[in-house]
Amino acid sequence: MTSMAARVLRPAILLILGLIWLVPVYLLVVNAAKPAARYASDQVWRPVGEFALFDNIQEAWELAGLADAVTSTLIYSVVAPALAVLIGAAIGFGIVALRLRHGFFWFVLVFGGTVFPLQMILMPLFVGYVEAEIYDSRLGMLAIYTAITLPFSALVMRNFLGGIAHQVFEAAVMDGATTWRIFWRIYLPMSTSALVAVFILQATFVWNDLLLGLVLSQSDEVRPLMTALTSLQNTYGGSQLVTVLAGGLLVSLPTVVLFLSTQRIFSRGLNLGQF
Amino acid sequence: MSGLAVAAPEQTPEHPTAASRRRRRGSYRWSARAFSLPAVLVVAVLLYLPFLWTTWISFTEYNGLGSPSWVGLDNYRDMFADPNFTTSLRNTLIWVVGTITVPVSLGLLIAVLSHGMRFGSWFRLPFLIPYAISGVAVGVVWRFVLQNGGGLSQALDALGLPGADSRWLLDAPMNTLVMIGAAAWQQTGVNALLFVIGLQSIPREPIEAAKLDGASGWRMFRHMHWPMLRPLTTVVVGLSLVASLKTFDIIWVMTKGGPGRNSETLAVTMYEETFVTSAYGAGSAVAVFLTVVTFIAAITYLRRQLSTERTV
Repeated sequence: MTSMAARVLRPAILLILGLIWLVPVYLLVVNAAKPAARYASDQVWRPVGEFALFDNIQEAWELAGLADAVTSTLIYSVVAPALAVLIGAAIGFGIVALRLRHGFFWFVLVFGGTVFPLQMILMPLFVGYVEAEIYDSRLGMLAIYTAITLPFSALVMRNFLGGIAHQVFEAAVMDGATTWRIFWRIYLPMSTSALVAVFILQATFVWNDLLLGLVLSQSDEVRPLMTALTSLQNTYGGSQLVTVLAGGLLVSLPTVVLFLSTQRIFSRGLNLGQF
Repeated sequence: MSGLAVAAPEQTPEHPTAASRRRRRGSYRWSARAFSLPAVLVVAVLLYLPFLWTTWISFTEYNGLGSPSWVGLDNYRDMFADPNFTTSLRNTLIWVVGTITVPVSLGLLIAVLSHGMRFGSWFRLPFLIPYAISGVAVGVVWRFVLQNGGGLSQALDALGLPGADSRWLLDAPMNTLVMIGAAAWQQTGVNALLFVIGLQSIPREPIEAAKLDGASGWRMFRHMHWPMLRPLTTVVVGLSLVASLKTFDIIWVMTKGGPGRNSETLAVTMYEETFVTSAYGAGSAVAVFLTVVTFIAAITYLRRQLSTERTV
């Protein structure tokens, strides 16, 4: 009797909760698809016959300079995590394979770089960037995104490389390979799965960043996507809400698709991967 | 005796490992350093140096122009006397309590209900979509839903429920509570996912044995699953705790900490003081305070969890 009730009750509760969870998504999609002229703020639940989603996305793309922001953010979220993963793998290799002296100390030092809140470094970065004339430059944004994603990359890469038997290294040395070659031709190819998992996590982190963009950039060309969306909201939140919503939908699609298609890697990596 | 003494040095070449390892370590010393240097350099220059600088600036008066002048603990004294800071501290506390209770317990509920169920992962999908969305996008969506007379108010009105006239994002502490709701909407899915992984790693045998003893439903969960999930719960709550102290994006998009700074948290106050009012010293003091609180909270929490785990 109880198991019968449980068999019906469990999916029922999950279904109801799940539907509640989808309500904001429904409101977002329905209203982002309304033509600006037909949007009525007291009728947000009701879809209108016309489908103007792509017009609204195009509007957000052009009006808010999202086009520039998407280009910049693509560069940031590909190049910075790639650099971070490589630099992280390099120190992992130095510690694990080359047995860096006091390796554990250096590892803890690098990993400790993200245990404090971001707020601790914002002001000096801003002042220092202005001094060094890299404020509001793509180079400056790349540098900080690399630095901020590096500690976690170093953690995962060191742990992963630690799983490779040291005999691999010794055998390669016997064959006369240089350390540089061993790193690029043996250790990196052997750790592709870890490299990819860390890269995806970090790329998502960079894609979603607001705060660093807010502090270290200004112009349309440099400003990352989330910062651009925030200013779109501030400028058009009142008069052209459908454009803002379409923008919100646009910036979310890549990460949703990426996350859902790589859920397996994520769910394994997430234990460590939350910031 | 003497024969042994003579034999000893001859033995060394026959044991190549120790000697050659020493030699190898020596010959790779420089390449080990070369491989490790970039990481250390990047972290030192872009993370540690600013960290130290903020700490120093918090004891000075500085507005970005000229040079900082030493004022000792004045910034901290002013900070504790500032009513905005008190509000911010209170809101931060509400955030911490809200984020370690709501999304964690909902996540656990969803994980337990969907665990071992056919199509369980499909039932979890709606909760994962918000997690894949950025804090900014979550803020945009919920600000739209919660605006005066917006989606939520219209729904309450249509259902004949009270609260349709609420000014969700304008009145404190209501605005903080609804923003915690938005954060919970985003965070529940990942907690559910973590708990599902935890449930899957529980060994089958004790569960089967308990089943034979007639345990099921709530009792099974209370006495079997829950204790075994304990280490994972510690991690999930710990992560939520640290994350909640840093909350910025959702608040910045939904209320900007307002109106009148009444929905700020420490992370927002730091930004406000530093980049809006250009009081770098005061902003740095807030940053240092936030860091100290984060460390104390994390360490206290972990120590308590570890000590109770040992006694159980």
